[in-house]
Amino acid sequence: MSLYENRNMAVTIAGNRLVEDVSLKVEAGHCTAIVGASGSGKSLTCLSPFGLTSGVASGTMLLDGIDLGRAGSDQIRDVRRRLTGFIFQQPLTALTPHLTVGTQLQEATMQAGSARPSRRELARKLERVGLSRADERLDQFPHRLSGGERQRVMIAAAIAHDPRLLVADEPTSALDASLRAEIMVLLDELRAEKGLGLLLVSHDLASVEGHADQLVVMDRGAVVERGPARQVIADPEEDYTRRLVAATPRLQEPAPVLSRPGQILLETRGLGVAFDRPGWRRGKIRALADASIMLRQGESLAIVGGSGSGKSTLGRAIAGIGPVTEGEILWQGAALPERRNRSLEMRGLVQPVFQDPVASLDPHWQVGDIVAEPLRYLRPDLTQADRIEMTRRALSDVDLAEEFLTRLPASLSGGQAQRVAIARAIVASPQLLVLDEATSALDPLAGAEILKLLVRLQGENGLSLLFISHDIAAARRLCHRVVVMEEGLIVEAGEMQEVIDHPRYPATQKLIAAS
Amino acid sequence: MLKSHLALFPLLAIVTLVLLLPFLLPWSYDQIDWDAVRAPAFSGSHLFGTDEIGRDRLARLAAGTRITLMVAVAAALVSLIVGIAWGATAGWIGGRVDEAMMRIVDGLYALPFMFIVILLMVVFGRSILLVFVGIGLVEWLTMARVVRGQVMALKQRPFILAAEAAGTPSTVILLRHILPNIAGVALAYLMLTVPQVVMVESFLSFLGLGVQEPLTSLGILVKEGADDMDMTPLGLALPGGLLVVILVCLTIEGERLRDRFS
Repeated sequence: MSLYENRNMAVTIAGNRLVEDVSLKVEAGHCTAIVGASGSGKSLTCLSPFGLTSGVASGTMLLDGIDLGRAGSDQIRDVRRRLTGFIFQQPLTALTPHLTVGTQLQEATMQAGSARPSRRELARKLERVGLSRADERLDQFPHRLSGGERQRVMIAAAIAHDPRLLVADEPTSALDASLRAEIMVLLDELRAEKGLGLLLVSHDLASVEGHADQLVVMDRGAVVERGPARQVIADPEEDYTRRLVAATPRLQEPAPVLSRPGQILLETRGLGVAFDRPGWRRGKIRALADASIMLRQGESLAIVGGSGSGKSTLGRAIAGIGPVTEGEILWQGAALPERRNRSLEMRGLVQPVFQDPVASLDPHWQVGDIVAEPLRYLRPDLTQADRIEMTRRALSDVDLAEEFLTRLPASLSGGQAQRVAIARAIVASPQLLVLDEATSALDPLAGAEILKLLVRLQGENGLSLLFISHDIAAARRLCHRVVVMEEGLIVEAGEMQEVIDHPRYPATQKLIAAS
Repeated sequence: MLKSHLALFPLLAIVTLVLLLPFLLPWSYDQIDWDAVRAPAFSGSHLFGTDEIGRDRLARLAAGTRITLMVAVAAALVSLIVGIAWGATAGWIGGRVDEAMMRIVDGLYALPFMFIVILLMVVFGRSILLVFVGIGLVEWLTMARVVRGQVMALKQRPFILAAEAAGTPSTVILLRHILPNIAGVALAYLMLTVPQVVMVESFLSFLGLGVQEPLTSLGILVKEGADDMDMTPLGLALPGGLLVVILVCLTIEGERLRDRFS
């Protein structure tokens, strides 16, 4: 008998059936992963049977022989207390801010009725999840820990009472790329060691690959395909799964065909950015130091690194929307001044695209006005008719129909909104796009489409791209060269394939291992 | 849709009534009916009777509500305009300018408001203009803080950065990107400011610091009613009840808007 099994499970919220006919199994010591885009109902599927969402789950849900579908709320609470542990996406919000790590861990240990653990036992639990100086950390509050450390504490708390089933809802999505692999490996170890069943939820196929035994692919509230993970990924049966697999960037896939770069377009020499410390404290924070990069016409350069590595700061400095404290930026050999001193033509040369597609469009403006905004000020020579014509052309360049002209951002999907943002960036024919994590907030299918679109735009218009990302596999799909950053410094630079094959620096190796 | 705005209906009814009543009633608010001093309710042409010197109670009630609402709306609008201008400027420019502008706000907050108003009254004599000045002095401060916070949050949003990269001038970004996006929140706080001003004005009038006789306001009517409440309880109940209805309706609607926009 399986440890946990759902048969024909459905979830309804306020009369709407949001998840239908889900069947899945989790075996003790094994991992079953649910993969799907946002809104596919994967979180509802894994959390609703335990009464952790506002949805009502119906159908057969057997955990260790107990049917959760027929259990009362007291019984479900008892199951949660004894048999299950939960890990959530946001480690900061999942830990109670005013309790120390030790108190929370003690509470978690005692929830299933065991005696008060000694300090030594608690410290050992923290050591088990890979935290150093465990004794000291017991007295720390969650805000003192880094994201990865918090996630480890949450894992320690989730398994403190020796549950049988561990439910992990996007456990690595909020973490830095280089930490993801470490957390997944930790989960693998714990699973083998304690015979835990793991129900894993993720939007990212790449992050569960190699860790999950069983794979359940969901789309729009229904299961599309399920089976052994290896088999589903290697030989998908359904069209949706096939597209999902193809959309997930991988380092092993064949190298992409990219256009040939021309003359040197942009160079930075010893670029540095320092911010004032917040509040009344003196001193500066160096976000970027001594950054020297070079970019040719029609070339894509990837800037990869973890969060806080200074990659966005570099991108913003080049795009003229962030400060520069030292060094210089050269445009075709001539110095590009700071943003306030750039002429309109200079501003038009570089355009940014941001991570969050919805936040980068003014919610009160229609798509047509949004796309036309750069033309109004960067190209004052144009007539109204020219502007409308160019707006239409930009929209069709990003494969959006003309009916989108009058739509409001709230009615667009993430992928469509990002297309609008790209249309706005290219409408005034710039020569360089600075893409700051332009695909990370999108689900894999939409993200892959955007990458394709960028490669096509580069081929057609000879655009240069600065692709800032934490995901080196995604960057590989469109970039000629790569620059790796850590703590505000460029630590490695070179041809994309060369760096992937022979990474020299630990930060690079971590990023590659995470992909 | 209509159901969620239920609180607005009593307000609209009250406003319409107090605007129309002067044309319908045979008595004006300062006219004395020598034949009917302290008349009880429903006596002759005095629906709610007359006060202790024979003025029609209903006419005075309408006049008082008009004054109170007028002061409230005017002061709230002043606070809206000054607050948005001040807060948006501070939030948009940031740095030292922001620091200086917000310290001025803090300083004004720290002044004992009642004391200042009383001082002004003593020095310049009682006038309705001073009521405006006194209330306006205080009410825009909260609005400025709210608006500044909103502007600072918006300033970091990518669409503002994209507009900057698109060469849009700062003033245009402020007017076309920032202001429309804070309008909802500002409106919500405006709705919450109006009842506050009603309250403050009534309080000042109750203390005898508000508008001058024979002009009247809800606060003055409540005071007069309170002085005479063992003889004619209606004199206190009418303006007091009206004040409560207005305050409750405005607050409900304001809270509803605030929940929606922030």
